[in-house]
Amino acid sequence: MPTKTHLIANGAVVDDTWVFIDDETPLGDTPAIISLDRLKAEADTLRSRNAKLGVVIRTNTQGKTKLGEDVRELSPYLDMLTTIAIDFPVYRNGRGYSDARILREELGFKGELRAIGEVLFDQWSFMARCGFNTFEIDSSIPVKAFNEALNELSEAYQPAVDNQRGVLWRRHGL
Amino acid sequence: MYRYDEFDHKIVTDRVNQFRGQVNRRISGALSEDAFKPLRLMNGVYLQLHAYMLRVAIPYGTVSSKQMRMLAHIARKYDRGYGHFTTRQNIQYNWPALDRIPDLLEELASVEMHAIQTSGNCIRNVTADQYAGAIADEIEDPRIISEIIRQWSTFHPEFSYLPRKFKIAVTGHENDRAAIKLHDIGIVIVKNDKGETGYEVHVGGGQGRSPFIAKKLTDFVPAKKLLAYLEAVMRVYNMLGRRDNSYKARIKILVHETGETEMRRLVEEEFAKIDASQMLSLPEAELDRISAYFAPPNYENLPAQSDAFEAAKEGNPEFSHWVKTNLVPHKTPGYGIVNISLKPIGGIPGDATDAQMDVIADLAERYALDEIRVTHEQNLVLPHVKLDEAKEVYDILCAHDLATPNIGLISDSIACPGLDYCNLANARSIPLAQEISTHFADLDKQYDIGELKIKISGCINACGHHHVGHIGILGVDKKGTEFYQISLGGSADEKASLGDITGQAFTEDKVVDAVDTIVETYLNLRQPEERFLDTYRRVGMDPFKEQLYAD
Amino acid sequence: MAQHSSKGARFQAVTANRLKDGEVVYFKGNGWIENFAEAEIADGQEAAEALLTRASPDNMEAFILDPYLFEVSESDNGFTPVSVRENIRAKGPTVRTDLGKQAEAG
Repeated sequence: MPTKTHLIANGAVVDDTWVFIDDETPLGDTPAIISLDRLKAEADTLRSRNAKLGVVIRTNTQGKTKLGEDVRELSPYLDMLTTIAIDFPVYRNGRGYSDARILREELGFKGELRAIGEVLFDQWSFMARCGFNTFEIDSSIPVKAFNEALNELSEAYQPAVDNQRGVLWRRHGL
Repeated sequence: MYRYDEFDHKIVTDRVNQFRGQVNRRISGALSEDAFKPLRLMNGVYLQLHAYMLRVAIPYGTVSSKQMRMLAHIARKYDRGYGHFTTRQNIQYNWPALDRIPDLLEELASVEMHAIQTSGNCIRNVTADQYAGAIADEIEDPRIISEIIRQWSTFHPEFSYLPRKFKIAVTGHENDRAAIKLHDIGIVIVKNDKGETGYEVHVGGGQGRSPFIAKKLTDFVPAKKLLAYLEAVMRVYNMLGRRDNSYKARIKILVHETGETEMRRLVEEEFAKIDASQMLSLPEAELDRISAYFAPPNYENLPAQSDAFEAAKEGNPEFSHWVKTNLVPHKTPGYGIVNISLKPIGGIPGDATDAQMDVIADLAERYALDEIRVTHEQNLVLPHVKLDEAKEVYDILCAHDLATPNIGLISDSIACPGLDYCNLANARSIPLAQEISTHFADLDKQYDIGELKIKISGCINACGHHHVGHIGILGVDKKGTEFYQISLGGSADEKASLGDITGQAFTEDKVVDAVDTIVETYLNLRQPEERFLDTYRRVGMDPFKEQLYAD
Repeated sequence: MAQHSSKGARFQAVTANRLKDGEVVYFKGNGWIENFAEAEIADGQEAAEALLTRASPDNMEAFILDPYLFEVSESDNGFTPVSVRENIRAKGPTVRTDLGKQAEAG
């Protein structure tokens, strides 16, 4: 896990105005990312709050039944959320790719979808194709390298969340 | 055969360049081994006992003569003059240096080949019936849908970091030669009562530590919707598959723990959403485009019976034996399907030298409409040989030690590389295959025993398919010494079954004796026309156990 | 990976694979050599751990993969690896004696 990260959006390093707030700390009126549990518990009061709200979805690698939080639980709250952060506890755990597609394609979430945790060079382009649009990455990695990595594979056979229709379709002008 | 268009070329070339960058970053120290490992694995590069090993994909086991020549060239230039054909219809090289693999992959790309997704927790190389397009009574050539699946699954952004590896196999024939029920997804091409072609989908088969036969989740998915259905299965698996224990991470465990009915419901629910979005509806034009590549080649109009062939059999009992075991009827009159055994008596199952690969490439070009197939039983196939020319082909194969007449017999065993090469193995597999083959070298004896499939794995991962061997052998390690567990009654065909363990494991020097005892027990008990498997299924384990553990 | 050494092991050596080509190597002095016969042998658990520490400096990953201890035993002709696995690594595939270290040794 990188110790220091910077946030990349639209191919540039951007200021991160969001703060991750744990469940015990009271929320101020600045943009805050909270847990799914807190969102569910405090939804009524949060609705009347006067600042941007985000949520983080955690994936659990341990335990037989506890796979991680289910993004579909966000469905009643999506109108309150500006940002959803999805945690990759280790890069090998690729559950977050499906989370992202479900949020974009099934639940129609249009806001910021942020990849956090172990978010490595060779995963960025797949994450982008699944609908992530911001990335917390190791701050020692220059944005130029990030942008190059996104374009290493220039064609894709299958459709996903990005603009590529997939070669299987594009061959026929679809 | 499928040929790349500009998109396919671009995708494979981009990948070679990307991997070259990754190797450079690794060697320069910019990338840690921990981060590099999944990347090299997704490009088929393993670190084994003595060196790196590269696994090259042979999609659905089909190669052209030009491609086979390239495989020979790679064996010569980057390896030590041989390659190993595997139970995944792929080829492995045992000695390439990491810093030369990008060049190797670039050469492979020049003949439309790659090593993409031959390892790693992603969708692996798709396998299919080795007789595709050549065997009679096929509903559809399984390579058409296999190629579509290959493309759809290549660099799938959502399914490249699955809980565990994922294998898909396809058969278009009622006799299953692709072991589809032992795959994460097994597809059987079927016709519904309206006469439309579609796909029956089995999910959750597999071997390894906990073997399972796949469960049929649906009877019929039309071609247009198959990718949507597969994506639904994959998504359910990626969301719910276990990641806490690598031995419990395959989809077979999810299906087992979730239950077949609930699994079907989850997949149907996901499928309904994806299908409604129309995103993955396969265009008719693409299906037609890919199908056209697998249209039957230009067969000559020949009489069903070849006088030259019949005369050759008459005059040469050895040829006649070879025909009996290694030549399979072709759907086209006057043609035959030739099996090339890579199991010479006492040889290493699946190994071929660069010179042998070149000979096979030449044979394919001259006699077999330019096609070669790799079988999951580690042999090769020339799918379209004129009976008139079968004897010429046979003579050339003989001259290169490629005409052992033993397909399906006791000396045609499958063996994983085992502890001679593999980093995961607990025991050696190849020497056992060699000893068994040498012990039963006598062909008359082999013919008398009849069909008997021995499958040997050097560890519980079961690359040698021991669970589905008529006789299965599993190597285990006991304090640094090799022991072997034997199982009976497994089968990988349309009547798939898992073998039963006989009992206590045997030391290396006792295994051949044990196999001999099993064979003799069968010969004593069999009824007319009964194969080993039939006898075992009739009489069960007891009589075998009694003989094996008599003292 | 399987366990390659046991707690009761007296003699041990350190082995790894070389990053560039995967070659099996053994630790000796301050570096890595290809021939098991020349490998440095540690006598006793403490010496073994010290050997492994010496073989695993911070920058090790730049050229060597995953060094580990394995048990060897003393015989009339010097030391031999105890497990089948380490014997095969030290020599080459038993089914291809023309390949690997055993072939180079001539």
